[in-house]
Amino acid sequence: MNDIGEFALLLALATALYGVVSYVMAFRSNRVDVYMSADKTPIIVWGCVMVSSVALWKAFLVNDFSLQYVWAYSNIDLDFFYKFSSFWGGQKGSLLFWTLILTTYMMVVHVQNRKQNVRLVPIALAVMMVITLFFLVLLNFSTNPFERLPVPPEDGRGLNPLLQNYWMVIHPPTLYLGYVGFTVPFAFATAALLTKNLDDGWIRLTRKWTLVSWFFLCMGNLFGAQWAYVELGWGGYWAWDPVENAAFMPLIVATAYLHSVMIQEKKDMMKVWNMSLVLLTFVMTIFGTFITRSGLIQSVHTFDEATLGYYFLGFLGVIIAFSISMILLRLPLLKSKNELDSFLSREASFLLNNLVLLGIAFSTFWGTIFPIVSEAFRGVKITVGPPFYNQVNVPIGMVLLALIGIGPVIAWRRSSWSNLKKNFTKPVLAAVIGAAVLFPFVPLTDKSEIFTYITFILCIFVMSSMLIEFRKGTGARMEAHGESPVSALSGMVWKNKSRYGGYIVHLGVVLIFAGIAGSQSYSTDVEKQLNIGDRFQLRGYDFTYEKLLVKEQNSTKTRVIAQLGIERDGKRVWTGLPEKEFYKGQNQPVTEVDLISTLKEDVYMILADFNPDNSSATIKVYVKPMVKWMWLGGWVIAFGTMIAVWPDRLEARRRTERLKRQEQIFMPAQE
Amino acid sequence: MKTMRTFMMMLAALLVLAGPATVWAASQLADLENALMCKCDDKCGKVLINCTCDTSKETRKTLTSKLESGLTVDQIIKQYVDKYGETVLSAPTKSGFNLSAWIMPFAALAIGGFGVRKVVQSWTRPVRTKKDADASGEESASAPPSGKFSKRLQDELDRLES
Repeated sequence: MNDIGEFALLLALATALYGVVSYVMAFRSNRVDVYMSADKTPIIVWGCVMVSSVALWKAFLVNDFSLQYVWAYSNIDLDFFYKFSSFWGGQKGSLLFWTLILTTYMMVVHVQNRKQNVRLVPIALAVMMVITLFFLVLLNFSTNPFERLPVPPEDGRGLNPLLQNYWMVIHPPTLYLGYVGFTVPFAFATAALLTKNLDDGWIRLTRKWTLVSWFFLCMGNLFGAQWAYVELGWGGYWAWDPVENAAFMPLIVATAYLHSVMIQEKKDMMKVWNMSLVLLTFVMTIFGTFITRSGLIQSVHTFDEATLGYYFLGFLGVIIAFSISMILLRLPLLKSKNELDSFLSREASFLLNNLVLLGIAFSTFWGTIFPIVSEAFRGVKITVGPPFYNQVNVPIGMVLLALIGIGPVIAWRRSSWSNLKKNFTKPVLAAVIGAAVLFPFVPLTDKSEIFTYITFILCIFVMSSMLIEFRKGTGARMEAHGESPVSALSGMVWKNKSRYGGYIVHLGVVLIFAGIAGSQSYSTDVEKQLNIGDRFQLRGYDFTYEKLLVKEQNSTKTRVIAQLGIERDGKRVWTGLPEKEFYKGQNQPVTEVDLISTLKEDVYMILADFNPDNSSATIKVYVKPMVKWMWLGGWVIAFGTMIAVWPDRLEARRRTERLKRQEQIFMPAQE
Repeated sequence: MKTMRTFMMMLAALLVLAGPATVWAASQLADLENALMCKCDDKCGKVLINCTCDTSKETRKTLTSKLESGLTVDQIIKQYVDKYGETVLSAPTKSGFNLSAWIMPFAALAIGGFGVRKVVQSWTRPVRTKKDADASGEESASAPPSGKFSKRLQDELDRLES
């Protein structure tokens, strides 16, 4: 099976090469036979990569340690679940996984557009094929996952214990689905530039792809935060690590694009800007991959064998040079009649939103590369850690939060002062009341707490401005159609899926902001060295250290568990079981925290240290308010995105009509 | 442009708020843990306060004993910088070349804000009054509606768009 997997990779490479050449030839010569031939390559390439992936998965599941990659990332005792996820545990497999997702997307684009969008699709597929080709070259000639060991060992080295967590089964695929998904808008944007079809056709075609990719990247970031929270045992979820930043930057740039593209859809403006944002989003995804795989910047996430830096740097350089030169070349065609009716308009507020989003993306980028800049200019290595990002991005993020509330209540084209006054009075009033109600309850002793207080006020402002929008729309429908509140609300959302789906996403973002602010500022912790029977208190919880358990899970893993009895108001509410896991051959034990998680707060328990001789233990407990709000915000975002991308019958009908028109245009060319 | 000015003022206020070194934790040990990176053999790349490895535990003990011996936070940080170099600090210092790390994001934002303002100014159509139309000698049919019709039109648009 390994030979088949290896051969399939080689066949995929040859087919992808043929695909690129034949798509370009078909487009240039307008020959149907060449096009028909090229048209089979996305499926063949996908099939080959799938066969190769199945071969690698099988090698993991049957413990085939003749493969160096399987030996390095698995062992006999590894759970079935993690043998499956070991596939993307290292550099080679993760590159194959990336290629599998990319070719799957390519196949979906191919199948979706088999008989439509013939002006753009062949070139878009050719672009996707070129990107696939790059990854296939790496897989075949630089990091082959089917590399054999001269003598197959009896057991493997095992998967990094930190990756043996269910979030690590979910987080990387979600993140990759987002990362790789941005290849589709990039490919269509490039196709539009190459073929000079620079109307908003490519935008309409890729709108859902962009939204879905944005959603996956957003959820990927949140899942990663959840993994860090439960697995790394430091009570936090985001450390502004370079690799975290690499996943965060494309998300922010894509968010800017999703907003500014609405101006192009409504007013046919800002074509250069939108094109630049799409290209920049893709560049950021490749930059992220470069960081993870170059070893250039020190990070907890980088792969052990980070040797692909030069390949990705070269690829990144080519993409940047190509993107800039194509935009410059097509500048005369991209020029649009840019006209705003007023500064007091939603268009202008979106421009501010873009400025702030790109400000956050830039500061994150600047902080990420500053160690390299410092070394290049001063010869001194420095570190740019969380204090930098917190001080720079927190205030900018607060401006962004305010804009989330302001944007939707400003009318398109032109808003009058009376209109603004009417729309803003209630949200501002709600924020003022909220500020007054919160004031006695929130501490305001340092800058962090003041920022948090302002963030809460802004959250109330945004939340109320959104809810008023929903109430107004529902009220209008109830008045016009005599509907009940529920059917008016559902009817309104259903008729304007992208608008109200977007508002729901905003509500999710507000929850995330509130969760971050609350959990960062009002967290309390205590660390105690305890003997059995010792008690301590924290924020109304009574903890009793009951016993220390040692469990041999299997031949490679031993668990040491501290049992804590937790009482509140004299009643036992939980048995805390924080633990440390020791893996054979690993220097550091892995911390497994225990959690009581409610909407109000999380009680986060860590076994920091222990002495098996006298069963004493050092226990650290955090009480962190509102952490769950962030995870809840993620689900609200998921719900909003689902509404926004839900198929629209009217849009489908329009697409069919457009398709018919295009076929009429294309058919004579075939003859 | 008033809104733009307000936005820029808000931005400047936030910059001032963000300016000086923020102390996120109250205790001196927490200050040190926030200011220093963990220097373990695994090069974990974590800020000391976020690290749970054995080296970080040892470092915390050392820091506590240094504080108990009467050294100030700044003196301890200086000792660590002398030993490990600037890389031991969790954020760039706010002096010399490193100052550019702090200034650049806000400078970029200010330049971007200025650019957006210019762009919006150049894109915004001046509101034409009847007087302007009369002065340019255009026929009244092409002039924007005025008086009660203009108000009614605006009200209708407001109602539609709100």
